[in-house]
Order: sequence, then C-alpha cells, then structure tokens
Amino acid sequence: MSLLWLRVAVSLYGIAALAVLPAALYDRPRWRHIAIPATVAAVFFHFVSLAEMLNAAHHRLPVDTHETQSFLGLLLSLSFLLVYTRYRTVSLGIFLLPICFLLGLVPAFHPGEESTTFPILHTGWIFLHVALLLAAYAALLLSLLASLLYLIQERRLKRKFPTISWLPPLETTDQIALKALLLGLPCMTAGLLIGSLIAQETIGASYFRDPKILLAFAMWLVYVAMIHIRRISGLRGRRAVYLSSFVFLIVLAVWAANQFSSVHRFTAP
Amino acid sequence: MSTPTQGRLVLLGINHNTAPIEVRERLAIPAERLADATRTLLHQPGIREGLILSTCNRVELLTLQDDAEATSPQAKTDLLRFLHEYFAVPPHDIQPHLYEFREREAVRHLFRVASSLDSMVVGEPQILGQVKEAYTIARDAGAVSTHLEALLQRTFTVAKKIRTETQIGSSSVSIASVAVDLARKIFGSLYGKTVLLVGAGKMSELAARHLIQQGASSILVANRTQSRAEKIAENFSSLTVHTEAIPFESLYEQADRADIVITSTGAPQKIFGHSHGQHFLHRRRNRPMFFIDIAVPRDVDPRMNEVEGCFVYDIDDLQQVAAANLADRSREAAAAENIVSREVDKYQERLQSRDAVPAIKALQQQAEQLRLTELARSQSKLADLTPQQRQAVEALTRSLTAKLLHPQLTALRESTRAKDPE
Repeated sequence: MSLLWLRVAVSLYGIAALAVLPAALYDRPRWRHIAIPATVAAVFFHFVSLAEMLNAAHHRLPVDTHETQSFLGLLLSLSFLLVYTRYRTVSLGIFLLPICFLLGLVPAFHPGEESTTFPILHTGWIFLHVALLLAAYAALLLSLLASLLYLIQERRLKRKFPTISWLPPLETTDQIALKALLLGLPCMTAGLLIGSLIAQETIGASYFRDPKILLAFAMWLVYVAMIHIRRISGLRGRRAVYLSSFVFLIVLAVWAANQFSSVHRFTAP
Repeated sequence: MSTPTQGRLVLLGINHNTAPIEVRERLAIPAERLADATRTLLHQPGIREGLILSTCNRVELLTLQDDAEATSPQAKTDLLRFLHEYFAVPPHDIQPHLYEFREREAVRHLFRVASSLDSMVVGEPQILGQVKEAYTIARDAGAVSTHLEALLQRTFTVAKKIRTETQIGSSSVSIASVAVDLARKIFGSLYGKTVLLVGAGKMSELAARHLIQQGASSILVANRTQSRAEKIAENFSSLTVHTEAIPFESLYEQADRADIVITSTGAPQKIFGHSHGQHFLHRRRNRPMFFIDIAVPRDVDPRMNEVEGCFVYDIDDLQQVAAANLADRSREAAAAENIVSREVDKYQERLQSRDAVPAIKALQQQAEQLRLTELARSQSKLADLTPQQRQAVEALTRSLTAKLLHPQLTALRESTRAKDPE
C-alpha cells in the first residue's frame, strides 16, 4: 500500500513541477493554484507512504538509499512550502519540485531490497540522527539554490536587462539562503552529536577514526565557518555561491563515503 | 405572440487617435456634471439606456436604442445633436473626428477600452476604474438597466480576465515607475528603506514620491545649497516619512545610510566614483545599494556598477527598460485581442439565446396546453388504468411532445443566431 501512496505522491510532484513553470515564469496565478495544492497533497501522500513503509519494514527509519532519498525529497518539498508561505514566491519550485519528483521516482518504482540487521536502529534516537542530518542537507541545498537565483538576478540587473520577472528580489533570495543555513546548523550539530553519542556507546572510540566520520566533522566545521563568514562580512552573490557549492560538495562526499565506511554501514542486501 | 425587442447598441465617440486635444477638451465632461449629462442623453429620442465615458483621452456615448430609431440614419444625427447642444460645439467641428460602432462592434470596442487595449499607453490600469465610475454614475442616474447592466458586468469580467491571463499591465513604462520596479527587484519590499536625493529636479522628486508610495520611510536630501536641500525636504514633510537635509560636505560620510540614491545635480564632474561605491558597500557590510542617475551629464561613474552590490542605472538605462517593457506590452496585447474576440463571440451567443427565450417558452407552453387538453379528452377511456399505467401514459405524452418540438426549437435558436446583424 505504501508504494501506491508514494506513486500518487510522485505523480503529484510531477504535476506540481509542471504547473510551477507557467506559475513562476509567466506569473500565471491560475497555475500557482494548481502547483501549491498539488505539492501539499504530494507531501501528505508522501508522508503517509513513508510512515507505512518504515512501519511495515519494522525499522521505522530510512535505512536503504531509496528510503533516504525519498525522505530527503519529503523534506525538500516541505522547505518549498515553507518558503512559499513566508515569501510568496514559487520560483524555487522550478528547481525543487523536479528534484522531489526525481528523488521519489526510483523508490516508487524500484523499491530497495536492503534491510538492516543493526539492533539499535529500533531506537528513536537513530531516527532523530538521520532526520536531523537530512534536514541539514535539505537546508543546504535550499540555500545553494537561493544563492544561485541571487546570482542570476544580480547578473541581469548588472547587465541592465531586468525585464525577467520570475526571479525573486535579491533581498528575498539572500534571506532564504541565510535563514536556510541558520536553520540547517542546529540540525547538523544535533544530528552529529546524537550520532556520536550512540556510536560512543555501542562501538567505542574506533568509530571516530573512520574516514566517513572524520569527513562528517570536517563538514560541520566548514558549515560553521561558512555561516560565520556570511554573517560577519555580509557575503552575497558570486562568492556566496562558491562557498555554498564548496560545502555542498563536502556534503555529497560525506553521503558517498557511506559506501566506503567500515563502521557506518547498517544495511544488508 | 409579440415580445418587446432587445434594442440596438450604438456607440459614438472620439478618442486620442481620432481627435486632437483641442477637440477633446471641448467635449470633456467634468465628473460632477456627468450624471446630468447622462440624464440629458437618456431624454434623447429612442434612447432606452445610456452611459457616458469621459476621460482625458476619450469621450464616448454608449446607448441602447429602439430598433426603429437605431436603424434609421437619424440615429447618429440625434447623438450628434446631443453633443452639439450639450457642449455648444458646432457639429461640423466634431463630425470628422467621430467614430461609430454598432452591436457586435460596439461590444468589442467596449471590451477593448476597458481592457486598456485602446489606451494611449496600452495596459495602463486607470481606464477600468474610469469605466466603472461612468457605470456607477449612469446606474445612479437610472440610465443603466438590464441590457447595459449585463454588458457592463461582462466588460468588467473580461477586463479582469485579461489582467490575470496576460501580462499586459505588469511592466512599467514610465521612468519613475521603472525606477520603483528596479528597486523592488533589488530590495523586494521597500518598507523601511531610505532614499537619498542628491541635487534637485522634478523627475527625481517624482521618483522619490513613487518610492515613498511603495513604502520607503526616510528621505535624505543633499544639495550644494543647504537652504535648497531644506526646502526640498520640506516638500516631503507632508508625507508620513522621516525627512532630513544633510550638508553636502558630509555626503560621502552619510550616503551609505541610503539604500536608494537618486542623483540629478547637473554638475560637470562625476559626484560618485568607483571607489565611493566600494567604500559605501564596505560600510554597509555588502547590503546592496541602488543608484538612479537621472542627471545629464551623469553624476555617477558607470564603473561603479562593477562593484558587487552596487546597481547603477542612468537615464538611458531607465529609458531602455521602459521601451523593452512597452514592447512586451505590445506582445501581450496580441494575446489580449484574442481573448476579446472570444469573449465577444460568447457574449453575442448568450444574447442571441436570450432573444430566442420568449418564443421558445411560448411554443413550449402551447405544446403543453395541447398535451393536457388531449389527455383530458381521453380521460374517460383511461379511467380503468392503474396509477402506474397512468404515469406511463403521462411520460409517453411528455416524451412525444418534447421529441416533436425538438427540431422546431433548434430551428428557432438557429434562426435567431442567423438574424445577427453582424
């Protein structure tokens, strides 16, 4: 049943991703009235599907890659709705909604076969660890997209070609980028802290010598440094995009490092 | 069976395309006299309903006339006589500039006018408000009833539809509004923003007023003559904004307080250079600054635009944006014309169906009467029937009547459509 709901959610993401194009690019309110309700409905079905899926698998947290992707998609769609509620702009949906669609597409039609054998995964703490880190990744992606939109808008204004109206104002994209980072920081900090405490309790000090874990702490340091630089110097535009991209690359590396980690692998095919 | 006719729609007028301002100003009706003029129009022979639209660019008489009156060549003469008598303008002065639309074309013209497709600046938003005002006055004067009421309500719907489905009015075409638009693209909301006026000039003050209307909360004024700066600041004091005249000598120390700087000094040298931009941005911790340079020769070094966070637009840049927006509006106007054509068709169809309604009703009543009479005549023969059988006979007679009537009703509807004078 959970797959059915996920397929419904993915279809709705698809509809929303298409409807948001005329809504944002040509400022057609009628299409916005399709895109937003479709996203809200997609989030609802996605949540139901995920809850059912995790419950049925008896581990109640995203374990395999597909479940994790799907969960990230859910967080990104929620962030799109949050941005819309606060700033009334659907422009970010041009990028976010197709990403949500793609993140849900594979799990909806080729569900993962992996399962977990790790006993502590049944605890709520591990769920928090995964959820908070995924929220931090979602916040970083949102910040990167907002910074990119800032850059495009800035370029157009500089080149005296400002007639494109779908881009949000510079100050709006700047606020979205910074607030997303500020929201992501406590998520990342708490996520890493919870993970470290559990690891210390179950595996011991050897856990912290794993490259994946070391990279994760490096990611946190760079993240904190980026926020500090942005806040202190008011970094915007091109340099802000470069900095966000750099941190995003580290996040991707941390994600990919799961494949090579000897201690941070909890799934069995 | 005779029914009262719907009447004929006749629209007579002059506008900026057909008449010079010397003629338009002689026919312009002030708002306070519009009700009286509408009542006078209604007293003209054969006029059932009427509305007068009078703006600086057009004077139009929209009338619903009796069929006989409207089809006679006298109709135009009567309306001309009204103009001549009411404004004391000789007919030969008006006649060469007049245009006349009837029925379908009058509907199309009205839709185009209200949607701002016939305006001097296509897409300007004021005209819809002016049409609504003319409607309110005519309705209060008792000059608008069923036919014009339906037409005008449809007109407002079409105009709104065009506003929402096209971007005809979404871009600015005047220098001041382009400046506001650009500021909004940078800052989003202008609430709480500070504007610095350097120098004096009508256009810069107009731009500042536009910015205040959009929410800017502080106006700083700098002028080489301090008393002049204070006088300009005073001009803004009636508006609910903080105003302050700053000494010209402290311009470079204070300019970074402003989010938007409007310069129009007419000084031979540049006032703000590239290094000033860097200095301001550093002090503002990279918060953007928008320079609107409407001075010729220019006050702001164009290289300042290269400083990250500084946006410099001179008068040519603003004019180019306005021209591009105007071109966009022309493109959107083509889409709007299509909507108008579709809506005119729909309106005419609805009107024609309404024309056929009395005849259709009469035919249906006659058939029903016949059915009931025939049933009553056969009453004795049907007395032995059970209630179910009676119901079956009722249903059968109804169905037969409907089927017999169907071709006649269709023909009636089609003939009404074919009678369309268009």
